This record gives sequence, structure tokens and C-alpha cells, in this order.
Amino acid sequence: MVTTTTTTATETASRAAAIVSQYFSAPIAALEAKAVQLSVELAASGRFGELSSQQLDGLVEPHALNIIALPDARVYGAGFIAAIGLLTDERHHLSWWQGEEPKRLLLAAQSVNKEHIDYSELEWFRVPMETGQGHVAGPYVDYLCSDEYTITVAAPVHIDTAFVGVAGLDLLIDSIERQLLPQLAELGDKVTVINSVGRVVVSTDPHHAAGDAVRGGALAELARTACDGVALEIIAA
Amino acid sequence: MSPFEPTDVSEDSAAVADDAALVRDSARPGRLQGALFQSIGDAGRAELVERRLAGAITGGHLRAGERLPSEYDLARTFGVAPTTVRESLLALRSRGLVVTRRGRNGGSFVTESADPVAHARTALAGTSRLALRDLGAHYSAITAACVRLAARRAVPSEVQQVRSRLNRLDASDLEQWRSTLDDVQIELVSLSQSARLTREQMRLQAEMSPMLRLIDADETSRSAQYAQLLSVVDAVEAGDDHAAVAATERMVDAAIDVLINLQSRTH
Repeated sequence: MVTTTTTTATETASRAAAIVSQYFSAPIAALEAKAVQLSVELAASGRFGELSSQQLDGLVEPHALNIIALPDARVYGAGFIAAIGLLTDERHHLSWWQGEEPKRLLLAAQSVNKEHIDYSELEWFRVPMETGQGHVAGPYVDYLCSDEYTITVAAPVHIDTAFVGVAGLDLLIDSIERQLLPQLAELGDKVTVINSVGRVVVSTDPHHAAGDAVRGGALAELARTACDGVALEIIAA
Repeated sequence: MSPFEPTDVSEDSAAVADDAALVRDSARPGRLQGALFQSIGDAGRAELVERRLAGAITGGHLRAGERLPSEYDLARTFGVAPTTVRESLLALRSRGLVVTRRGRNGGSFVTESADPVAHARTALAGTSRLALRDLGAHYSAITAACVRLAARRAVPSEVQQVRSRLNRLDASDLEQWRSTLDDVQIELVSLSQSARLTREQMRLQAEMSPMLRLIDADETSRSAQYAQLLSVVDAVEAGDDHAAVAATERMVDAAIDVLINLQSRTH
């Protein structure tokens, strides 16, 4: 049956927003649940205050692998990043798993030593730590974990009111593009997904590349539609 | 010769490994199992592991007194047998780079006397002006390409983050100074939004870093480098890609000049 109504840019934007919200909802929900579980398990371990990196890894591993195995959204990496000075044996520590056959990330053994990168300055750690809220960082080049162009979903972990670290998961922009582009392209109009600082995540318009800033460009003046549950917006032209 | 050289894998095994990696790593955006997490292949494995660890130690990336990952972890990371790791640790012990302690808190540790500055001086004396200038050319080209993109793509809040870290720098701890500057440089180039360029720049930064410590040791040269890096940040913040490139080239030229000067004094 042929429909005689025309799809307006606003309708397209709403549909696109729904697609994006749906894509991120499961990973975000799973990550926030993990943050709560980790808080409970860390407190229950009874060893809190005397935890070693090995013990922490043992606690985090099943959760990390669980998140990576989430169906639909292709989670590339996941884990827990300890608050500075939390552990008995290491001042900085990432309990992180990533890759197709998830392996634990070993920073000191990388050909470019990353062990001395101060992760407390990085947005996905700093913001949850400072705000006490979950945060979606990126897209950005994740030179610490994935080494790729990434979006990181992060949630702080607290025991009572004490900040003990950040639970996180990585989604590669490459995967997001492969999964969302076909769905967004079906909507007809040119759809661009941007983050909270106006950086393009994905666009069905080949003139807008992931990583471009909308500031001062053709998209700067156009209306934006917020996506529910994730700090991303849609521009439809 | 750089104290922190990349690992060489024999050609045949590399080709086979690459094909296998392509199939395995379909989750990665068409990139081969990268150099940053590279499996070491066939012959001379122990020597390759030894070289990589020695490079990390002499380059200051594994610090004096620092505990190495366990033999098991190292074996898994490098994709070699634990006996191979043990062999390389033996060699590192005999070179005086590593000590092994037994008991509860045992393990292998970087020796307390491992001094990256001393190693950097030796490396500088052992290299040629040609090699230094070529390293400079490579480093300059990649870093400039990154800051050009960063100038176009960075948002104000990101650049302010970089600037605030630079403002907090304190020259009283030169180890910390170099660490932080390396971090800031990498954060700045990552604002290019290019994973490839950032990865390459990180490798080059690791090569340059030990020698940049020699520049850090002199107050005048150190301050000049710092001021030049600030100019790069200013240009990126202003969105001026030409100025960012020019400032980067000036900064690297100046660094190479200082190094060549230092080098000529040791001869």
C-alpha cells in the first residue's frame, strides 16, 4: 500500500533517536547492574582494604566476560578500573578484558609501555569519579585499552560513599557504524548522530565523518533531537 | 640505535600470523593484530622477549625496582612458552637489568640501578647524526599530522584538559615531568580522532622519550621545549592547523638540535 504522507525531518529524527536509544540501552543497563554487583561483591569479600590485583581480577573477570558476551551490541572490552591506591600491591590497576577471544589486558607487557599512563585524568574515569554518575565518553581514540576509535560507557562503583573505581565497557565506533548505519539509512533523510560536545558518532551523509565537530559547520544551526537514556543527539536533514 | 626498538618477526611466520590474525580479529576494524599487542613468532623467541623487556627497562618504561608481570602473564602476552620467558629473564639477570626474589612477595624486578638517563646517554653516543635527524623527521611528520587534525577536530573542553595538565607540571621531579609530558603529548595527538596516527605517534614517542630526558635535564632546553609545546596547544585551541604544524616542527627541530649538540660533546 502506498502512503501519501511525507516523512518530515522531525519524524526521521525521532525514529533515529529510538534506534540509537535501543542500541545503547542494553549495554548501559548491563554495565550499571555490574557496577552495583561489584560494589556488593567487593564489600562482601571482607578483604576490602587488603585486596590484591590478582584477587580483584578474579572477582571482576566473570562480570567482564559476561558483558562482552552481550548479544546485539558488540562490546569489545569490559572491566573495572581501580581507584588510585585501592589495592595493596599496585597503585594503578585495570582489571580489563578485551578482544574477540577476550584476553586480560596486560599493560606492562605492551610494546609501548602504558603502565605509567595516569588514567585518573581520562574522561571515562574522571567524570564518574567526580560526579558519582554514569557517563558515556567518546567517540575518542582509546590509546590505553582498545587502541581504536571507541565509545566507553562507564559507571562509578562505591562502597557506602567511598569511591572504589569505575566499571566500564568499550564499543568500537567501527562496530557502531556497521550496526547502526543500515538501520539509519532506511529512514531516508540524512541522519547524523552527535555526542554532547557536538562530535559526529555516525552519519548516513558521507560528507560528515565520525570525529568531525559540528561547530561552525553545515549542521551547526540545525535542530537536534535527544536520544532517551544516552547523551547523544540526532540531526536530520 | 634506539634503546626501545620494535620487535622483528621473521617474514614467513609474520605473513601466516597476519592471515590468521585477520580472520580471528574480525571484531577489530580490519587491523592486523597490532604491533601494540604483538605475538612473537618463531626463531630466537627468547632473544626477542629479552630485547623487548630490555628496551622497556632502558627506556624507563619499566622503572627501577618495579615488579615485572609474572612469567605466566608474560608468556601469555607474548604468545611464547613459559620456558622461553624464563630463558630471557636469565639473560636479563646476567645483564644486570633484572633481579629475581623468592618467597611470598617474590618475582622478577627491575634492578634499582637501572638508570634510563645513563642508558639514553649511551644510546645517544652510539647513534649517528643521520639517525637522529631521520628519527626527528619521522617524529615531526607524524606528530604534525596529528596536531593538524586535532586543530580541526578538537573541542575546547578537551584542549583545556590538556592545558590544565601542562599548567600543573612541576620541574622538581624530572621523572614525573617526562612521564606527564609524554602523557600530554599522546593525549594531544589523540584529539586528531585518528587511531592509526595516534598508535604510530605513541611508538615514536616511546623512541624519543629516553632522549627527551636528556633535554629535560637542562633547565634552559627544558623550558624552551615546554614553551614550544604550549604554542602547539594554543594553535590547536585556536583551530589553526597551519600554526599547529609549524609549532610542532619548530619544537622537534629544536629538540634534535639540542641532542646533536649533546652528542657532539660526548665525542
